[in-house]
Amino acid sequence: MATTAVETVRLTIDGVPVTVPKGTLVIEAARQTGVMIPHFCYHPKLKWDANCRMCLVEIEKMPKLQTSCSTPVAEGMVVRTATAVVNEAHKSVLEFILANHPLDCPVCDQGGRCDLQDFSHEYTPTTSRFIEVKRVFEKEYFSPLIETQMNRCVQCLRCVRYCDEVMDVKALAPVGRGTMTEIKHFTHHELDCEFCGGCVQICPVGAFTSRLSMYEFRPWMLKRADTICTYCGDGCQITIQTKENELIEVMSAHGAGRNNGDLCARGFFGYHATTHPDRLQHPLIRRNGQLIQTTWEEALEHVAETFTRLKLQHGPAAFGGLIASRCTNEDLYVFQKFMRLAIGSNRIDSSARYGHINGVRALRRVQGTHRWTVTFEDIVSADALLLVGTSLTETNPITGLKVKEAVKKQGAILLTIESLVPAVGTISNITNLATHHVSAHPEQFGNIVLGLIKAVIEEGLVDQALAQRATSYVQAISEAVRACPWPVIENATGATSSTLKETARTFARAARTIILVGQGVLRAPGGYGIVMNLLDLLLLTGKHDQPGCGLAPLAEENNDQGAVEMGTVAEFLPGPSDLNDRPARERIAGLWKEELPQGAGSTLIKMLEEARTGKIKAMLIVGENPVGSLPTGARAKEALEQLEFLVCQELFLTETAALAHVVLPACSYAEKDGTVTNTEGHVQQVRQAIEPIGESRPDWQILSALSGLLGYPLEYGESREILKEIRSLIPGYGLLGPAPTPPRPDQTVVDRYLREGYTEDLASRYSLAGEGQAERGSRKEGSFALVVGQTLFHSGKLSTRAKGLLQIQAAGFLGLNPANAQEIGVTEGDRVRISNEQGEMTTTVKLLDRVPEGLALFPEHFAEDRLTDQRR
Amino acid sequence: MVRLYLPNDTSSRAAGAARLAEVWQERTGIELIRTSARGAFFLEPMVERDMPEGRMAWFNVTPDDLPQILAGKGGTPVNEIPFLRGQTRVTFANFGVTQPLSLDEYRAHGGLKGLEAARTQSPEAIIEEIRISRLRGRGGAAFPVWHKWQVARETEADRKYVVANADEGDAGTYCDRMVMEGEPFRLIEGMLICARAIGADTGYIYCRQEYPAAAHTLRAAIQKADEAGLLQSHGHRLRLEVVVGAGSYVVGEETALLESLEGRRGVVQARPPYPAEAGLHGKPTIVSNVLTFATVSTILARGGEWYSSMGTERSRGTVVLQIGGRVKQPGLVEIPFGATLAEALERFGGGMAPGSRLKAVQVGGPLGSLFPVSKLGIQICYDAFAKAGAILGHGGIVVFDHETDMVELARHYTVFTAEESCGKCTPCRVGSLRSREILERIQAGRGTADDLALLADLGETMKTASLCAFGGRAPYPVLTAIEHFGEEFRRLTK
Repeated sequence: MATTAVETVRLTIDGVPVTVPKGTLVIEAARQTGVMIPHFCYHPKLKWDANCRMCLVEIEKMPKLQTSCSTPVAEGMVVRTATAVVNEAHKSVLEFILANHPLDCPVCDQGGRCDLQDFSHEYTPTTSRFIEVKRVFEKEYFSPLIETQMNRCVQCLRCVRYCDEVMDVKALAPVGRGTMTEIKHFTHHELDCEFCGGCVQICPVGAFTSRLSMYEFRPWMLKRADTICTYCGDGCQITIQTKENELIEVMSAHGAGRNNGDLCARGFFGYHATTHPDRLQHPLIRRNGQLIQTTWEEALEHVAETFTRLKLQHGPAAFGGLIASRCTNEDLYVFQKFMRLAIGSNRIDSSARYGHINGVRALRRVQGTHRWTVTFEDIVSADALLLVGTSLTETNPITGLKVKEAVKKQGAILLTIESLVPAVGTISNITNLATHHVSAHPEQFGNIVLGLIKAVIEEGLVDQALAQRATSYVQAISEAVRACPWPVIENATGATSSTLKETARTFARAARTIILVGQGVLRAPGGYGIVMNLLDLLLLTGKHDQPGCGLAPLAEENNDQGAVEMGTVAEFLPGPSDLNDRPARERIAGLWKEELPQGAGSTLIKMLEEARTGKIKAMLIVGENPVGSLPTGARAKEALEQLEFLVCQELFLTETAALAHVVLPACSYAEKDGTVTNTEGHVQQVRQAIEPIGESRPDWQILSALSGLLGYPLEYGESREILKEIRSLIPGYGLLGPAPTPPRPDQTVVDRYLREGYTEDLASRYSLAGEGQAERGSRKEGSFALVVGQTLFHSGKLSTRAKGLLQIQAAGFLGLNPANAQEIGVTEGDRVRISNEQGEMTTTVKLLDRVPEGLALFPEHFAEDRLTDQRR
Repeated sequence: MVRLYLPNDTSSRAAGAARLAEVWQERTGIELIRTSARGAFFLEPMVERDMPEGRMAWFNVTPDDLPQILAGKGGTPVNEIPFLRGQTRVTFANFGVTQPLSLDEYRAHGGLKGLEAARTQSPEAIIEEIRISRLRGRGGAAFPVWHKWQVARETEADRKYVVANADEGDAGTYCDRMVMEGEPFRLIEGMLICARAIGADTGYIYCRQEYPAAAHTLRAAIQKADEAGLLQSHGHRLRLEVVVGAGSYVVGEETALLESLEGRRGVVQARPPYPAEAGLHGKPTIVSNVLTFATVSTILARGGEWYSSMGTERSRGTVVLQIGGRVKQPGLVEIPFGATLAEALERFGGGMAPGSRLKAVQVGGPLGSLFPVSKLGIQICYDAFAKAGAILGHGGIVVFDHETDMVELARHYTVFTAEESCGKCTPCRVGSLRSREILERIQAGRGTADDLALLADLGETMKTASLCAFGGRAPYPVLTAIEHFGEEFRRLTK
């Protein structure tokens, strides 16, 4: 990485000389010398506001005391933070603040970690000279999750500024003037926002607190565990605070983790999912058609015996294994080792199959990496960001914050190709920040990308060096897009050629460009090809090998990336190495001291097919729920019912676990140690916060115990030993420091791709999808294209067990454009029946102007809202 | 047909000019010319007519006085009115003479000469002329005008703005309103000169809500100026717009004004950056008082040297005072800086109203210091006032007589500051209300000597720690009342 010399400034703070970068604020320079200047309104994340007037200091040659939060350092500056005058000022301002504060510390959840308490302790006498009645705000009900006590408020506006500057939500504002300035939200009904919890976390006093943990603790009673949130691929560091093995609250610290202290609703309010009363506490075994409680001993022995019998009867190829990429790397690693050694089957897959694998395969093929070549920091400092099919705020909220920071604070240009359209609502909409937005019907992402590439060719935006280096590649693509006429593209996508050309020009003009690809593309039919074409876009515009540039597929699950790297997908061994990569096989076999099975891998869909046809007789499913997750068309239930033996390791009795012969209770992330790898390839520590619920055990421990009974003991004392073994296969795994060091594209792989690699599927990738189908917009009356997606408040189905999140959103809905709703005569809250070839269901209408006409948005989280299959 | 001149500004109308116009409008044989006002409001309604011996005026006219005026009897030659004769009218030279919306009259009386001069000069030369004039901002902060313009000129930006602060909120001040209602082209001319100097393409006049007539007149004047092609310069047209405020005093502070102009709550923002570097929408912006812009055109027309030849060493040119309260002759006075407060009151105030004795004078609006009789020797200039911990502000002078209850007066100011504090910073938000409460406690006879000390401490905190001048100045009326009239406070405390 290029290091540019930073201009520095020397100054003296309380007699101590200090050198800091130019532009540093005095308050931060003081912090570096170990001096904490008292403050309320200042926060390093926010633009300073200098409203609390607490941080006054004396600066030589300045006539008055200055607020250190708003004064940048200057060469030779002499600052004093603790003179009699300064102390008097601090004391006076505190006396003012306390004149209105209710001093209700005994019933305040902030007590013990309150800035006002701490500064009062330091500065003020215990009596107040102000004897008049304190300012009183009428208590108002704010929200089911966030409690406000405005009488405690010091009007520092951190909450208001955070909500605007960082979240781009603007749900809060000061209302009233003078003494009666009160922080409120904009409407008369209860708070309706993103519920990121930022206001609760950034409030220096107890004006905003969480109702989920209200009155349940004093901070000093809590035990902390720094761990990683498992709700999405962003991998936020969180601190779980517990009291007597109860989850009390989740916090995050500024400066900590890839999220730098920011969280979303799922991270901040979703932590109760793991301790839901429905958690499986004991092993279950099927007797006379019923699952009944049993002991670990009996359950494990039954599994071992049955596996051994079936293996003798049908051979190891009759086994399939499926694991959720929510599991830790250690779980994933032991799982594939168990399947390959104890069972002897390569029929392994994980939930990375749904989408993430498509991104990884494209990256490997074009540039020889299986990870991003960029980091969150690169996103923040990008000049242009292109989002394709992401619904970023809903799927990866913290990556979304990095994009918001890039656009709002660093002036990056945002280009979006998304199904949802710009519209201001109570949840921030990433497309609102876009300078160029192309509305994409869910089936049209590929065609729009083709249009962009065509625009790059026609507008002469192809990198000259590339054109010389890879003449035939450029020529082949030029010819391919020539065969895609503009009228057809425009007709199919609804985007005009001038829009696409302008977008392409803007993209090509920017120096540091990153393409973020989301589930809208990755999970779509042909998603792999679209990612390939987006890599072509980077190559053609000469960005591909430039610093700060790259293509970044967004991981949906918290450990999608780890699942690929641990070799728990059909095509990979740990590494990841290709299943038939001979040197890799030999290396792994050498380490395992055991030959690897020869058979081919099977993807999830193929495994289900093989189960249906009787080729697979037994399956081990860890934490994954294909019956609940896959569309009815996949016929997962039918397939699993054909199995002779199904074993599930689960937290809950899911639709899939309910079909099992044995269900083994597993620990959630809060009950075990390990590592997970986030969307940018950063490996982070998961740490145990509470004792296992009931008799549950970590997945790897269950597998380890089973392996012994099967005669192939995989013995590990603790998760760290597994990580050590992983590191012997993948050197340095998880030893990357506070930020990932991304790989660079492998130039030999890129060269090979440009020479010949591109040819094999060029024709299919560069043909317009759905050509000849009915034109867009000519949909049948009353019919809509369903966009199945995430909402901000839920993630998969686990979150629907979290009481906090259920209080924000307890049921599914069908999001419709208000104009469409009017056309068909329905309105907000109406119950509607929807149907397609696969089935029908009833749900509630929600009017959303960010849903374009002709589409209907449907969140996938709620089991009762599933399409019921009519053919059964 | 006899031509009669009758002022049409809000003060004169309130004094009776509106009634005269209503009654006389049907009369044949007279032609009513509605002019700006001369600012001698104790004489309003004042009617003037041209006579062979010159312009004659009739004072405090009632409808029945018309025959006498038509007969030419009982009038006073305008140039012999003592109140006006002693003044040095520069910015207000044409007041009482011209019709506000007549561009021809404005031009005939020397208007647009400054703009014409500016258009033949480079922006640097304009700023240099202002520098030579040593003009300081007339809104209250008295910052050198040329320096601000220089910063805005030198700050690179794709857009720049020029904003006239017409949120004239100090009680007893009205010179901005007189300019806007009486000679709107003067303000527009000044803004055009500034726009040329800094390279602005858009201008706003932020006019307080309580000035509907001013906003109306300005809009009409802008349209006339536009029709006459005045807004065009070197191929660019200055977009000029009047924006009406929402009734907040603090919006007179420039950062709060810009917030309000952007459509947000009118609350103060911490500086730096100063508006000249990053103001409206983050672009370089000159925010200046109406009077400042109104002075600029004359400086460009007659030269900076000429302007700086008036006044004191560090306060050059003329000061516009608005004398009010218990004096015989309330009105607008424009004189060079340098007279003492006592002289100004004596020469123009005409002594106290019958039966009243002078007790205290407040200069600079509701945040200004109070002067007892013994302190009236102070010279009217920025330095002397700064040294005394006082402000000239916008030139408002309110005279209080011997019947004034100083505790009640002090409380009255705290009511005002508690009401008008924007609430952004702690010292002002809390201090303004708490000082009101303490004074009310004292008034109720429940105060102690400690409370006076507490008021002093509280005032000190507001002065030291407040974000803007509003909070920083709010304690002064109270503290100077206690300083000079302490006995009245002590009498009430235990």
